[in-house]
Amino acid sequence: MPSLHEIKEGLFSYQESEKGWVATVRTPADLLAAAKKVREAGIQNWDCYSPCPIHGMDEAMGLHRSWIPFITLVFALLGATLGISYISYIDLIDWSIVYAGKPYFSWPAYIPILFELSVFFGGTATVAAVLILGKLGKISRKPINNRITSDGFAVWIGDSVSREKVQEILGNLAEEVSAVE
Amino acid sequence: MSLESVKNPFHIGKTFKQIDDDIMRPMETFPSKTWWIAFLIAASLLAMFAGILIYSFVKGLGIFGLNNPVGWGLYIVNFVFWVGIGHAGTLISAILFLFRQRWRTSINRAAEAMTIFAVMVAAIFPLIHVGRPWFVFWVFPYPNERGPLWVNWRSPLLWDVFAISTYFIISLQFWYMGLVPDFANMRDRQERFKARSKIGELLLTVKKITLRVISLGWVGSAKTWHHYEKMVLILSALATPLVLSVHTIVSFDFATSIIPGWHATIFPPYFVAGAIYSGFAMVLTLMIIMRRTFKLEDYITMKHLENIGLVILVTGMMVSYAYTVEFVIAAYSANKVEQYVFMNRLAGPYAWAFWTMFACNVVSPHFMWFKKLRNNLTVLFIISIVVNIGMWFERFVIVVTSLHRDYLPSSWDMYVPTIYDWGMMLGSFGVFFTFFLLFVRTLPVIAIAEVKADEANDSLHAAH
Repeated sequence: MPSLHEIKEGLFSYQESEKGWVATVRTPADLLAAAKKVREAGIQNWDCYSPCPIHGMDEAMGLHRSWIPFITLVFALLGATLGISYISYIDLIDWSIVYAGKPYFSWPAYIPILFELSVFFGGTATVAAVLILGKLGKISRKPINNRITSDGFAVWIGDSVSREKVQEILGNLAEEVSAVE
Repeated sequence: MSLESVKNPFHIGKTFKQIDDDIMRPMETFPSKTWWIAFLIAASLLAMFAGILIYSFVKGLGIFGLNNPVGWGLYIVNFVFWVGIGHAGTLISAILFLFRQRWRTSINRAAEAMTIFAVMVAAIFPLIHVGRPWFVFWVFPYPNERGPLWVNWRSPLLWDVFAISTYFIISLQFWYMGLVPDFANMRDRQERFKARSKIGELLLTVKKITLRVISLGWVGSAKTWHHYEKMVLILSALATPLVLSVHTIVSFDFATSIIPGWHATIFPPYFVAGAIYSGFAMVLTLMIIMRRTFKLEDYITMKHLENIGLVILVTGMMVSYAYTVEFVIAAYSANKVEQYVFMNRLAGPYAWAFWTMFACNVVSPHFMWFKKLRNNLTVLFIISIVVNIGMWFERFVIVVTSLHRDYLPSSWDMYVPTIYDWGMMLGSFGVFFTFFLLFVRTLPVIAIAEVKADEANDSLHAAH
């Protein structure tokens, strides 16, 4: 059973990369290899940066499954529940009226609306979850270097590890290791 | 960074820097004369659209050709037409994503933009058609002082409100979230630009601040990508049934009524196939122009266009099948009224519309059987236009021919669209193209990060 702290850390996986070392690598394959090495070295405070998602990065970095699908499911069900409650209140209590000889509670006719509501709630919650879990929205944040969003690949390691150790872990995978203040 | 070439027909084989430069070029150069001419035409049509709209508010719906029995005219035709166009974008970004179709990557951004603008245009029509558009918010079931007077939950028109608004919001979120990494890319590129005047400097500052805000502080962290990729998958899984539901519900507007010609169980799949058919035709039209003017031939290749042609062939045949089934069911039904409606389509006063539709939708896609024709830009372009003319007429045939002959011959009437009806139709293209032309100059028309992800994946496989 994970502790509350671990759950919280797991939720907000993104970490600010303030002080530490940044090692640039050349290719996506190098970044994957570097991630594997850093993980095997048992380092906790680190992250990888790339201009695009890289297949296999989750396993290489040892990231656990994203919570996103769970959040989607909960909110989709919430949308449908709120919808059916609201419609039932209106059709059964507030304004019971016979339409076209159909029962007061004509559930088959509600299905399209309930479906749309669950998609709307589920989809919007999914986007909101990425913003929160990925800690997006802090617009003052700058990338670790300007090439990252274009064609740069880099590993960042927190300053609890010495520069020599970083170099030792990454070996010749690293193109350049520089300090982040 | 260089990538080794791999044997994937959609592999681009350029460096990431080249990809950035190629795709961002239209945004970083002054628009060409062609763009300005196209934009001026589109904007004038938009102005005409707005003018007719205001005139209709002043004079009322009487300026349009609507009558009794034809209470739904070109407005609903245009509504269904534009919603149909709006189907290809989400289909490309969601369904082709789930099916792991690599060719979606180069076209999904522009197709999604097309979807959003088409749905915006579509939504205008029913809003005006209600007659008192200033009360249009009454379609939303909020507690009110009118009784409270609630909406009818059993009405497909209300389902439509929910379907179209959900579709629009989800598509918009999907599109925006896809743009965020590209916005960050643009943000980090701005350093290279130097303003030459005071005004230029001000504009550049505004641009930098805007990009900073809309890129949401994206830094390309693998831990953010991890959630982000899951989101793309989940949104695709949600958008797939959503896109099918939208035109299904639009078809319910017709099919749940008891008007002969509308009351058919085949309507939902028939409408969905038609929507994909016309949507892909519109994508084809736009892509052929876009790749040429922006020199994106390396990204949107002939193979992409050929695939779109194949989708048009398949959905065109589905639509043809639906037409046939409608006639067979009418013949088989032993229902005189039903049979009359369909004979009237074939040989009645609107037979010209039916046969235009038939020639455009049933005959023209079969050219796509031939590889030579699928690889001929002129043929593809003509087919894409012809299909959309046909699909517009399909909606005209469905709406008008079913209504204009009521049960009693004394209630028969012809529907003749007025100059304002046609003006609204032409104007709706102006609205759409104004938005689209602005889009191609201000946002990356190809999803850069996704193209890079595919290229990176190729290089990983090549390394193995």
